[in-house]
Amino acid sequence: MEPIILLEDVSFSYEGASGRALDGVRLSITPGEFVGVIGPAGAGKTTLAHALSGVTPHVRRGDFYGAARVAGLDTVSSSVAELSKTVGCVFQDIESQFVTTMVEDEILFALENFSVPRDEIPSRVDRALNDLDIADLRLRSISTLSGGQKQKVALAAALALAPSVLVLDEATGELDPASSVQVFELLTQLQRERGATIIVIEQKIMLLCAYAERLLVMDQGRVVIDGSVRRALEQPDRLLALGVNCPRVTTLAARLREKGLYHGAPPVSLDEAEAMVREALA
Amino acid sequence: MPGILEYQSGDTFLHRAHPLVKLLLAAVICVGGFLTQSLWVNLALLALSIVGGFALGMGRKVKASLKGAGSLCLFLFVVQLPFVRMGRTLLPLPFGLRITDLGLRYCAQLGMRLLGATLPLVLMLGVTRLSDLTNTLVAQLGIPYRYAFVITTAIRFIPVLFVEMRDVIEAQTARGVELDGSFKQKIRLIPPLCVPLLVSCVQRMENNALAAELRGFYLRKRGSGYRRYPLSAADAPALAACALILIIAIIT
Ligand SMILES: Nc1ncnc2c1ncn2[C@@H]1O[C@H](COP(=O)(O)OP(=O)(O)OP(=O)(O)O)[C@@H](O)[C@H]1O
Ligand SMILES: [Mg+2]
Repeated sequence: MEPIILLEDVSFSYEGASGRALDGVRLSITPGEFVGVIGPAGAGKTTLAHALSGVTPHVRRGDFYGAARVAGLDTVSSSVAELSKTVGCVFQDIESQFVTTMVEDEILFALENFSVPRDEIPSRVDRALNDLDIADLRLRSISTLSGGQKQKVALAAALALAPSVLVLDEATGELDPASSVQVFELLTQLQRERGATIIVIEQKIMLLCAYAERLLVMDQGRVVIDGSVRRALEQPDRLLALGVNCPRVTTLAARLREKGLYHGAPPVSLDEAEAMVREALA
Repeated sequence: MPGILEYQSGDTFLHRAHPLVKLLLAAVICVGGFLTQSLWVNLALLALSIVGGFALGMGRKVKASLKGAGSLCLFLFVVQLPFVRMGRTLLPLPFGLRITDLGLRYCAQLGMRLLGATLPLVLMLGVTRLSDLTNTLVAQLGIPYRYAFVITTAIRFIPVLFVEMRDVIEAQTARGVELDGSFKQKIRLIPPLCVPLLVSCVQRMENNALAAELRGFYLRKRGSGYRRYPLSAADAPALAACALILIIAIIT
């Protein structure tokens, strides 16, 4: 299938910075993939997200090398507005993402801008609010919400648009565990129902591994591991050396394997972990 | 609790009124205060705002504005009063300064005008959603969306700045910056407080503009707004009040 995201040797250094925030990134993502991105602080994850939405190099300026195409658009020659029709984003810095004062208006804003048909708008707003369980916040002033509630509003606004490519940059950081799971369920739903491509930068590795099919591990501007979640988890020592918090159960799997007590792949769900423990104890 | 300049949800007749009618009403009360020469009309307009504010359930906003704008007006009153030379001297002061009857009247009226201009605006923002204001400015007054958005964003940012300022002050106090002290000490505190505030503000506005751009701001067209704002019969009394206030202000 034709890739929806194609980065060919993309390098980027911020204006005035000495090092490279992205260093020769090659990446091909087909439509409908659910990709997790992980890596230590400063690895270039946010810069990668920005490169997909055109924020880099149009808004965050610097030297951009290589070629990046998203949905057939070259990110350097297309404007951010053009790209925004395809790529939806929720970024790390939640406070500066709101452009209106009220929850309902925040969700309406982009729907109006993208000329969603009038008769679809009410149901889309309702659905987004209900999906994230924030229907009761509808008429609240955003400045009076808690951090987690604000994140839900930002996510609802992004999900209401149902973009073909959705990029979340640590957008569940302030959510409680149940809400984080709910968000990942919604992402999966968007992927299945609409064939959307989902790219999630996330520190909660276990959650990421339970939902993503493919994992990118970044370090110093490079994609150092790119493969199925299982393949990435088979190298817990390498992940730890990179400063990535590896799930304990994966580390346990590696140790059991070393001792010849377990022969399967590293578990990515509770059921698989249970099966592993049973095998080891047998 | 929403801040002083923020929308306060409710279901009064003014909440339901057409956004432009609310804007007009606020503007007429402000302008009326400056048009009239009668101290009584100024007083009446001020009373209208205060009583109206409490009736709308926004007593908190009224009190806060009276306190904020009121102290500024009082300051202006005291500073200007001795310099007015016209009128009959009531109390001679040293250095050739004096308090005159016209001075008292003039300074009192100025104070009331400023106060009378602040309150209606605060109350208007209390009963009008900023997005409704933006949308009507665009749809009914034909102001390009970009400019309307900038106007309402500026209003939106005022309370944000206050929160930011409080955060900076807290952070600096936590680092041991003494906030009490002599006037000279306080002057020296301005850079450590203002520089981070300025930096974070500029950053915030940039990020905010980016967020808007990423969500299709530049794709918006004049007819993009979802809500429609038809004038209704319920707006007639407010419009009549506008006309009445304007006429009274002009003839007095
Ligand atoms: N505006 C900027 N100007 C200069 N350098 C920057 C800028 N933003 C990021 N960098 C640098 O680029 C590199 C990659 O940063 P990036 O924000 O992409 O990392 P990240 O993986 O998202 O980190 P984190 O997990 O902390 O969010 C870092 O070395 C960072 O210092
Ligand atoms: Mg980041």
